[in-house]
Amino acid sequence: MLSFLALLLFNAFIASASASSDYSEHLLLRPLPQKALLASFNFRSNESSTAFEQQNFRYFPRSLGQILQHAGTKELHLRFSLGRWDAENWGQRPWNGAREGGTGVELWAWVEAQNEEEAFARWLTLTNALSGLFCASLNFIDATKTIRPVMSFPPEGDHQNPSQLHLLHGTLPHEVVCTENLTPFLKLLPCKGKAGISSLLDGHKLFDASWQTMAVDVRPVCEEDGECTLETEQTVDMVLDIDRSKRPRDNPIPRPLPIEEIECDTSKGYSAQDTCYPIHKTSEPAFSLSGIYGRSLKGACPLTDESSENSYTVCINTPPERIIHVNTTGQYAESTSENHAMRCYKLPVGADFDLVLPEQQMTTRLVLAQPPLYAARHINGHGQEHGSVQAVITNPSSTDAVEFVYLESLPWFMKPYIHTLQARVNSSPENPIRETYYRPAVDRQRGTHLELRMVIPAASTLTLTYDFEKAILRYTEYPPDANRGFDAAPAIIRLISPESLDKKGIYLRTTSLLLPLPTPDFSMPYNVIILTSTVIALGFGNIFNLLVRRFVGADEVQGMGPGGLKGIIRGKVERLKARFLTKKKTA
Amino acid sequence: MALLSTVLALRRDPRILKVPPYLSLLCILGGIAWLLVLPLNEYSRSTYVSENALLPGQVHTYFTGSEHNIFRAYRHEVASQVEKSPQERNNHLGDILRSNNLRVATQNYEYHASGRNISNQNVYAVLQGPRADATEAIVLIAAWNNMAGEINHSGVALVLTLARYFKRWSLWSKDIIFLISGDSTSGPQAWVDAYHDSHSPDNVESLSIKSGALQGAVAVDYPAGPWGHRYDKLHIVYDGVNGQLPNLDLFNTAVNIASGQMGIGCTLQRMWKHDDKYQDRLTTMLRGMISQGLGHASGPHSSFIPYHVDAITLQTVGDGWHDEMSLGRTVESLFRSLNNLLEHFHQSFFFYLLMQANRFVSIGTYLPSAMVIAVNFSITSIALWVASGRSTSMPKLASPSKSPKDKKENPPTTVVRRNGDISIVPTAAIEITERPLFLPLAFVLSTHFLGLLPLYIFNNTPKPSLFLAYSLAMSMTSVLPFLTAALLHILRGPTEQETTLIQCFSLLFLGMFLAALATLNFSLSFLVGIAASPLSFVRGLYPAPKGEVEGFATRNRGAISVVGSLLLAALNPVIVIKVATLYWGIDVVDILVKAAEGWHVWGLWTQVVVWLAWWPAWFAGSVVMWSGLFT
Amino acid sequence: MLIDRQKALLFAAAAAVRLLLFTAFPSLPSLLAGRVEVSTPVTSFKRLQEGLFLYTHDVSPYDGGVYHQAPLLLPLFSLLPNTSYYPFATNLVYIAVDLLGANALMQIAESGQSATTRLFKSSRNDLRWSSVAIGAGFLFNPFTVATCIARSTSALANLFILMAMAKASQGASITFVFALSIAAYLSMHPLLLFPPLLILCYDARATRSRQAPNAFTFTAIYALGLVVSLGSLLYISSVLTSSWEFLASTYGVRLLLPDLTPNVGLWWYFFTEMFDSFREFFLGVFWVHVASYMPGLTIRLRKQPLFVATTLTGIFAIFTPYPSIADAALYLSLVPLFRHLFPLMRYTFLASSTILYASFLGPAFYYLWIYAGSGNANFFYAITLVWSLGLSVVVGDSLYAALRDELDVERPELRGKEVKRI
Repeated sequence: MLSFLALLLFNAFIASASASSDYSEHLLLRPLPQKALLASFNFRSNESSTAFEQQNFRYFPRSLGQILQHAGTKELHLRFSLGRWDAENWGQRPWNGAREGGTGVELWAWVEAQNEEEAFARWLTLTNALSGLFCASLNFIDATKTIRPVMSFPPEGDHQNPSQLHLLHGTLPHEVVCTENLTPFLKLLPCKGKAGISSLLDGHKLFDASWQTMAVDVRPVCEEDGECTLETEQTVDMVLDIDRSKRPRDNPIPRPLPIEEIECDTSKGYSAQDTCYPIHKTSEPAFSLSGIYGRSLKGACPLTDESSENSYTVCINTPPERIIHVNTTGQYAESTSENHAMRCYKLPVGADFDLVLPEQQMTTRLVLAQPPLYAARHINGHGQEHGSVQAVITNPSSTDAVEFVYLESLPWFMKPYIHTLQARVNSSPENPIRETYYRPAVDRQRGTHLELRMVIPAASTLTLTYDFEKAILRYTEYPPDANRGFDAAPAIIRLISPESLDKKGIYLRTTSLLLPLPTPDFSMPYNVIILTSTVIALGFGNIFNLLVRRFVGADEVQGMGPGGLKGIIRGKVERLKARFLTKKKTA
Repeated sequence: MALLSTVLALRRDPRILKVPPYLSLLCILGGIAWLLVLPLNEYSRSTYVSENALLPGQVHTYFTGSEHNIFRAYRHEVASQVEKSPQERNNHLGDILRSNNLRVATQNYEYHASGRNISNQNVYAVLQGPRADATEAIVLIAAWNNMAGEINHSGVALVLTLARYFKRWSLWSKDIIFLISGDSTSGPQAWVDAYHDSHSPDNVESLSIKSGALQGAVAVDYPAGPWGHRYDKLHIVYDGVNGQLPNLDLFNTAVNIASGQMGIGCTLQRMWKHDDKYQDRLTTMLRGMISQGLGHASGPHSSFIPYHVDAITLQTVGDGWHDEMSLGRTVESLFRSLNNLLEHFHQSFFFYLLMQANRFVSIGTYLPSAMVIAVNFSITSIALWVASGRSTSMPKLASPSKSPKDKKENPPTTVVRRNGDISIVPTAAIEITERPLFLPLAFVLSTHFLGLLPLYIFNNTPKPSLFLAYSLAMSMTSVLPFLTAALLHILRGPTEQETTLIQCFSLLFLGMFLAALATLNFSLSFLVGIAASPLSFVRGLYPAPKGEVEGFATRNRGAISVVGSLLLAALNPVIVIKVATLYWGIDVVDILVKAAEGWHVWGLWTQVVVWLAWWPAWFAGSVVMWSGLFT
Repeated sequence: MLIDRQKALLFAAAAAVRLLLFTAFPSLPSLLAGRVEVSTPVTSFKRLQEGLFLYTHDVSPYDGGVYHQAPLLLPLFSLLPNTSYYPFATNLVYIAVDLLGANALMQIAESGQSATTRLFKSSRNDLRWSSVAIGAGFLFNPFTVATCIARSTSALANLFILMAMAKASQGASITFVFALSIAAYLSMHPLLLFPPLLILCYDARATRSRQAPNAFTFTAIYALGLVVSLGSLLYISSVLTSSWEFLASTYGVRLLLPDLTPNVGLWWYFFTEMFDSFREFFLGVFWVHVASYMPGLTIRLRKQPLFVATTLTGIFAIFTPYPSIADAALYLSLVPLFRHLFPLMRYTFLASSTILYASFLGPAFYYLWIYAGSGNANFFYAITLVWSLGLSVVVGDSLYAALRDELDVERPELRGKEVKRI
């Protein structure tokens, strides 16, 4: 439990610190198994709400502040995420998943408004403004992608008039997060990525990570005495593949190493000059900050206050035996937590700072905190007509049951059949669903919103399945890459018990789903219109032709001749004429 | 429709009824001829990649150098597992994959078909693409045993090495799944069924790890032993179960990369020697059609195609100078192309006949040949329908044509109109258009249901007694028509009209089945159509109505019926299949065992077509033929 | 009583077949319920189950895009045990529905209104099939069986249409109006059957009583009756769902076609490919087109109202927004009533083989499009065109035969001669 404690301490003292000082930033590094490195950046600034009202911003980014005021937004949570967190190998998520989002872009906010309509109008202004600010297509979050969660997102901040607050939530699962989102993100920071730990953040490395998420959270925090501050927290968490990140930028191609550099297992009988069974290295890989980020840490951000323990900005969470060389010209300070699992450094001002960890064979390794739940979600069945979604949620804990809220927000063209919803726990026959909130989709107006409060007994697996049907859209409603399919947003799981220590809560998210829809032939409109009209005209013409004319004997008709082949041919001609006449009439 | 009315006004013209036999003969010959001209340059096209995102062979491949040494080591590892049980084997392979930081899982499966017990274990690993969000995945397969039953040493080793190599790249925008299946047909089937959760849990274990929607699959078949073997060409296998084909773009990409980028020759349909002559193209096409028509699984890739996952197998053949690394680089480049794919394969053709690695005909060009053959049955059935309406009214039609004087001078064609006239006089009308539909319909439908019996028997008989069952079926089906005809005759001698209608309906159904089938499995429809084509010339021979001279056919109809029936007996599906197996020197029991396995494991439909469409038509035909004997 | 024994036998056989299918293949109902040919968004049983689930859990089933069927079905089906666990009761209900429908059909056949009406007596009216045969034609029609097994609610609509026809042909006024209003309430377009059936009812009444009732008052009364019963049904529904929003999501959906799920009709692909600016216009045109047949036929064939009604059901099976094979089944089992027209029909073989081809190729092409992915939407679309064409050939041809039949009565001398239309 070594590191888990450490992590808690870390979070705790950040939390405690945050209230006191006005700006602080932290970087936590933790080597993970399989040559991965978790780096979680955290930037925090406070603004007294009075100052915020008077629009005199000190640390609070003005651009963001004005948007929030304009849209009447009291609390904002914005997420940009990429990749997957591998819970089996990497353990508990940073910040208990409270600072990460589903793949793509996720946004939820508490908007102050008299009624739902006004709230939604303000929500639209907010999304449009933010999409401009962050260069993301947030403006595509329209009514069909917006839901109003009831159980999943309690407010993080302390609000005066909760009655007038409306929670709105929207996701863009297909949005690809990239450097153009990072730049405005850094712009919001007081040091703008010029100094402090933010100077490490480089687009190329960040988006080469196996998993990364950027978060912006704004929430009001009030003391007992009632004076409130508006807290902005910006977070960047990433898991880097050390081998990949260490590659120089000018030569990123993982060419096969020369055979000399590969350790071969000579114990194998067949081992020879040309035959090499590579030994799987167990030692911790060497890395240095400048090495994996491709740039050096340009000293502390001068805006962080020097005094408090809060100024110990960079922390690394390794077993005590791990050798760490600090490489800087300036002067720094080091502090270690009592169990020595966490080493924190106070950055020098105006001088580069680097941590260098050599390759090392470890005897002890970190015990990573076990995540409270594992979740996976898949689409079963094939074909573009209907299918079923299957979510498998596992409770690894052998002692205590877990209660949680499961939130699905599905696009309208994916029509779930809620009567086929089944939740089974492998250990007990009883129905794990305690409470259900369901708001069905309406075509082209809003998406499905499903929230389930469920309980998993200890050490058991919950399987949730429901059928759905795929709608066929109008051909103008398909995107250019119609045959790729549509993305369905990840399911969001919030733990109720065991509840978290802070107000942030414990969250985890599944991966998003790819939903292939039946596609019409996009080149066909004119042909379809013509053919269908022809068939209708044939039916109509035939019937009304019969209705409006009257029969006479063939021999009574003049000019039909004596019949015979000639007569027949002429008859045909006559009929043709007649047919085209009626056709014209009908068409 | 007004036009139709005049055409149909002619339907009672005696001359009209002479045409259809020649017309359907024309259709059959036309269909065959159509197929024969396809290999010509004028009718076939050279292949091209129409999905721009693929960019085949545009990337430099780096799978060389030290990877080769590692490959050799892995190949020894694979060889060391040959004797072991599937579980031990997969534990070891799983460890190798796990040591490359991949997520590994295994899957057990056990099928029962024709008394045999097919059970084995798959092992697979998922590489989570750094750029991927778990929505899409591509599969690299190596079956432990290839189709020929040899151990796929180098193929498995190559997959292991590539897994280690791919893990280092950061450009994968789709997950990559490395699947080492227990065998070449049932293993992949079990895996892909479980992946789409359409498996029966008591046969197949569910998958513990899944990824996104499968976008494509490539299988490697390289059975060279631990000391390696240099190959000459890549044999690209592309037939799916039930004759479904992968998107042509995938095939083209593979050919393009192998021959264009790596300089490895590509061949298909076991045409080891193909010097682009008409004969070679034709043979390739025909072999392709036969293998498509059989609809059997032709490699590990086959099971993927019914799930709309385009897949091919790369098989090394011959002795040449290409080594495993070039195959590895081909796969690498192929996967880079698949990785570029933005949308699911949809641009290029799904229906095509290949006559060379870079020549093909698309559905628009070849479908008519099968369609006209199907149409010939419909034509005959329409003709028979008209004839059945006409036959009883013949004597009545005779009378008015030599009545009142005033119409004498009309030209002969007025007979048409007059017949038309007569036909609508109520009494005559009822007798003419009144067709006894019950017996014919009942007979034809029951023959189709009768087909269920052999279908069930052959799918569920244990292997040892299959040969007996087959011989029985052969003898039974050969004599059954005669007995049925005799029985019909004894119970209630069906009138000429009824026999005609029997033939009419059975041909109508046959034509319909084949037309529908031609869109699902062109080759099967074509082959069945050819084999059944004589049926459209089968007529029940009856004594001519009174007052007419006996023609040659009617006079000695007994002899003709017997001869015709005996000829027809040679076209009995059971016999035809037997002959085919003799021709290709295969044991018919193996075919039946494969078919049963197909039925129970891969969802094979060929035998359904044989027993529920082809055989009933043949049966009805020969009953009609025999019935001539009893008149 | 021979007929009764035959009838009992027939019903027993039909029920047995259905029960066998239900029990022998327990997965068959859900399979068929998923087939687009059988169940459409407005008749699908799965959607009905969804609606029931929401209804029993106090969520308004109409505040969503799934359930588009009549509100009164909800309490009706909520009485039955949950179908996903105890399907037996529901199956029995559906079997009963089919049998009642067959019964009504046989009543129509026995009334003899098909060949002999008050103003018209076909010259071939001796030529007809027994009511049992016609009932068998309905009960053993594979389309009817499929509809029953799929438990699509169009079976109910068909039942009430048949009942309305039967009652009208018997001149049983109240039940006729009530049945028709239920049919219209369930699936809207049967409302168009009112005029011909009213005439039918009028004729039946007139023949029964000596002097014909005053046509105007008769019409007024019955129209009023229809309005009242329909209005009361709607009012009950609104009370039931405690709002009027069901109108928008039942009849609104039928009118405006927001759900483009494929079916055997002509509308879905047309409006999938339609340019947005013209959508409303063409919706209007299509509906006007459907409605336009009613007056024309009613006026021209005023003497044979039953035939008009039958032809209209055929029109519905082709030209309504959400047709399914159930509608075709209704029409095709009504046609044998007019056995006396068959000798005059010209394209029977052509039409029937077209329909057969379509019903074989349809599923094949749908498979190619949706599952194999090797064919595209045009495959299935082409087949729906063929299907509609085949049905419209039957409709047109029977209409020709009927007119020709009338002609034979008006001008016996032309009987059996080649005729021209001018």
